[in-house]
Amino acid sequence: MTEEQQAEPVRRVKVVYCGGCNPHIDRSAVADALPADDPDVGPGATVHLSGCPRACASDHLLIMPRSEDDVRGAAGTPHSSDDPPVVVVAGELVDGVPTPAPELAPTITRKLKE
Amino acid sequence: MALKTPEEFRQSIADLHLQIYMFGEKVDDYVNHPVIRPSINCIAMTYELARLPEYEDLMLATSHLTGKKVNRFTHIHQSTDDLSKKVKMQRLLGQKTGSCFQRCVGMDAINALYSVTYETDQARGTQYHERFKNYVQYLQDNDLVADGAMTDPKGDRGLAPHQQPDPDMYLHVVERRDDGIVVRGAKAHQTGACNSHEIIVMPTVAMREGDEDYAVSFSCPANAEGVTYIYGRQSCDTRKLEGNDLDIGNAQFGGQEALMVFDDVFVPWDRVFLCGEIEFSGALVERFAGFHRQSYGGCKVGVGDVLIGAAATAADMNGAAKASHIKDKLIEMTHLNETLFSCGLACSYEGVRMPAGNYQIDMLLANVCKQNITRFPYEIARLAEDIAGGLMVTMPSAQDLADEKIGPIVEKYLVGQCDTPVIDRMRILRLVENLTLGTAAVGYRTESMHGAGSPQAQRIMIARQSNINHKKELAKALAGVGKPWDKGKIKVPTAVSAD
Ligand SMILES: Cc1cc2nc3c(=O)[nH]c(=O)nc-3n(C[C@H](O)[C@H](O)[C@H](O)COP(=O)(O)OP(=O)(O)OC[C@H]3O[C@@H](n4cnc5c(N)ncnc54)[C@H](O)[C@@H]3O)c2cc1C
Repeated sequence: MTEEQQAEPVRRVKVVYCGGCNPHIDRSAVADALPADDPDVGPGATVHLSGCPRACASDHLLIMPRSEDDVRGAAGTPHSSDDPPVVVVAGELVDGVPTPAPELAPTITRKLKE
Repeated sequence: MALKTPEEFRQSIADLHLQIYMFGEKVDDYVNHPVIRPSINCIAMTYELARLPEYEDLMLATSHLTGKKVNRFTHIHQSTDDLSKKVKMQRLLGQKTGSCFQRCVGMDAINALYSVTYETDQARGTQYHERFKNYVQYLQDNDLVADGAMTDPKGDRGLAPHQQPDPDMYLHVVERRDDGIVVRGAKAHQTGACNSHEIIVMPTVAMREGDEDYAVSFSCPANAEGVTYIYGRQSCDTRKLEGNDLDIGNAQFGGQEALMVFDDVFVPWDRVFLCGEIEFSGALVERFAGFHRQSYGGCKVGVGDVLIGAAATAADMNGAAKASHIKDKLIEMTHLNETLFSCGLACSYEGVRMPAGNYQIDMLLANVCKQNITRFPYEIARLAEDIAGGLMVTMPSAQDLADEKIGPIVEKYLVGQCDTPVIDRMRILRLVENLTLGTAAVGYRTESMHGAGSPQAQRIMIARQSNINHKKELAKALAGVGKPWDKGKIKVPTAVSAD
């Protein structure tokens, strides 16, 4: 897994990429279509962007666990509702929900603003 | 309740007083019936190994619901480590029993339903997931065996469930009441059904509009009123009635399948996990099939280990073990068997945590696993038959060997490598026969073909996930497809002189 902080200073969304061995989607195109300086997206928002359903960018989690209880027995860092938003993309899945490729960036953007 | 002992398991199955029919007769003392007993021994082994410290790491898991140790067959996978341990446990049990040990279908059913009930609730506001979690805890707390009942008789394969001339060709809801539902129909080929405390019913195909009554999933006790079992025949099954262990090949263990009939069975709402939500039946079928396709990367490999061992022993006993082609055939069998194991492990290591919190195998690799399973055991069996020699199918019977007059003749002409007692040579050849053509071939061959779905079902899943456009783009980029072509740069290659 590689972490890439976007170069532009205004970029608010941190993108964590998988290694890209067999992507089903164009990860760079999805990342480029994310909001660059949208004030509705709070600082620290993160998108785990995997090219296929194996979800390597999020350590095989299709959705980031919301609480300790949620993560019991599973890998991953607990994520509470006070934390900055985290969205998991795994091929054509956003937080585990099937999402066609053209809908990926709009769906992620909507979730980042929720 | 703690983990059951094998004896407690046997007694608990006897106490159910199941309605089982075989050869046109009702079987009352089914746990002691010579045809059925070997299959009960298989499941008893899942209880026995769970009590031994040397197998605990694979056989037990920690329940995410209670924090208690439970038999892994009742566990909801909580990590990729759980997924791979499941496959290893199945290999172990295949080795110990040399046959289908039947407890996997229920495990695969609960793991599929866990995420599907969650997602149905999220989308439809239903209450299935909590109910289902309670049910899983009931299975865990009481260390129960559940049958995973998916396959319907299906009638005309070209027609949807609601289009069948006989509506019972797919199990369906015939009545919805305040306290529950009433269902009718049947489930075919049910592995281990007569060894199970519980039945978990799932739809067998993705449902469409008009199929609402058929999109049903529920559980019921195996002895629920209206449930009948018609025991499936296996090749060479009546050898078990001959009173000697020699000609059976594997006298201790065996698989079991039954046609299970639901004649207006009542199911209370707290055991209903899907009822009319047609759009989720496809996901349930795919996920159960996915887990079950992973399972075969463990169980069939364990049985394969036994068959490879039997073939190698037969070669020793024939005096042919040193021949290079025999050694090479054993290498090939091992290579095929370990390839299957690799597939089972690969889809486990690449598993993901679902929104429901459980872990699911990688679907593409699980389907690749099962596609190989539809082929490699056949090739392993072919090589085993090659190595064993024709005697495995032409050998005189145990009765002949025991006969005062004929016995010595059989002994004389069945000698192979001179240090090997004839009886032992006969035993190992009968085991090869059992695994490749006899009762265990039901599990090792035809179940490898059709169990968890016929080969075409995997090819459809593989096609859906093959990411072919990406592959095309890779090829086009390397070939330079779409690049302008500069004719002017073409040169005639000049010969390189030898000196
Ligand atoms: C030993 C054994 C144990 C089993 N255990 C269980 C169990 O425990 N639980 C359970 O639920 N099931 C179990 N099964 C059932 C298994 O899942 C089915 O056998 C499998 O799904 C195939 O169904 P079928 O046998 O009805 O074959 P069919 O559906 O009749 O298939 C026969 C052939 O026809 C093709 N075909 C069928 N329908 C179509 C169609 N519409 N279009 C094109 N081609 C088609 C198939 O691809 C296949 O090539 C078991 C099967 C076996 C053999």
